[in-house]
Amino acid sequence: MRYLKWGFWATLALLVFAFLHYTLPQRDIVRIVGAESRRIDFGENSIFWARPETGMAVDGSRDVFFIRAIRENGRAIEYRNEDTGWGWPPYFKINSSTLQTEATNLISNSATPQWVAITHYGWRNNLFTIFPNAVRVRALADPSVTLIPWVNIIILTILAALLFMLRRMWLQFRERTIDPALDGMGDAFDRADARADVARANARTSWGRFRAWLAGLFAR
Amino acid sequence: MILGWLRLFVMAAVVLTAVYWIVVIYARSVRRETLEKRWDAGEGTGEREHFVEAGMADYEKGLKRRLLWLVYILPGIVFAVLIYVVNYQ
Repeated sequence: MRYLKWGFWATLALLVFAFLHYTLPQRDIVRIVGAESRRIDFGENSIFWARPETGMAVDGSRDVFFIRAIRENGRAIEYRNEDTGWGWPPYFKINSSTLQTEATNLISNSATPQWVAITHYGWRNNLFTIFPNAVRVRALADPSVTLIPWVNIIILTILAALLFMLRRMWLQFRERTIDPALDGMGDAFDRADARADVARANARTSWGRFRAWLAGLFAR
Repeated sequence: MILGWLRLFVMAAVVLTAVYWIVVIYARSVRRETLEKRWDAGEGTGEREHFVEAGMADYEKGLKRRLLWLVYILPGIVFAVLIYVVNYQ
């Protein structure tokens, strides 16, 4: 039972962490090597794609902007560049075309690298063919700059404050509304409890169990 | 999808209205408790129930009660700032 309880909370914590890790913005320092659009037919992985540009029609297949880049450590990374529009996650991004132009403008080769900080959310996964969604690109003079995730600090602080408020509200509700109502019922519970004690004492012997079973037959 | 913004606003209105009323009820409860404790500490005059009801009537007209409209205003400001920062900066 204890393992079940811990397993439940561990699973819940893992889900919350995964959800936040997917949704909150992250910044990579990369060198953009390509920016293109290509036709995508959405399949089982459609949940990991956003939606058509704001104002466009919905279809099972459309062109999606992609940004290809090389990280500081030399490894490749690809981003999609889609509007999130009015849906989830609430980035309200409607400028994917502008972002694609900016990304194209920052393309550089390995001889004369132009480093950029690219803000994105989401994961890159080869197995399901999912890509992080780029939100913003910013040219960097020096790739060794330290980026402090202020946005995430603020969002997580607000989330923690909301959780704290929710707990305060629940405690207030319990103290002022539930407990007074239960006090009235307390006496009734006490009486039922006394009867249950007698029944429990009887149930310890097989004779008592037999009598309880017999009484149950006629009680119906 | 053309009316995606409409769906967003309807959903936001529903959720924020629920949040607003929960916060209103909570704030009222806290206020009432404070008034009761104040009377119990001997700071109030007259009958306990009358003192509390008078204090609650004052509260309903006061600034603190009106500040609860921030439940709607703050997300609206965040929405506007986000659109600007993400798309036009």
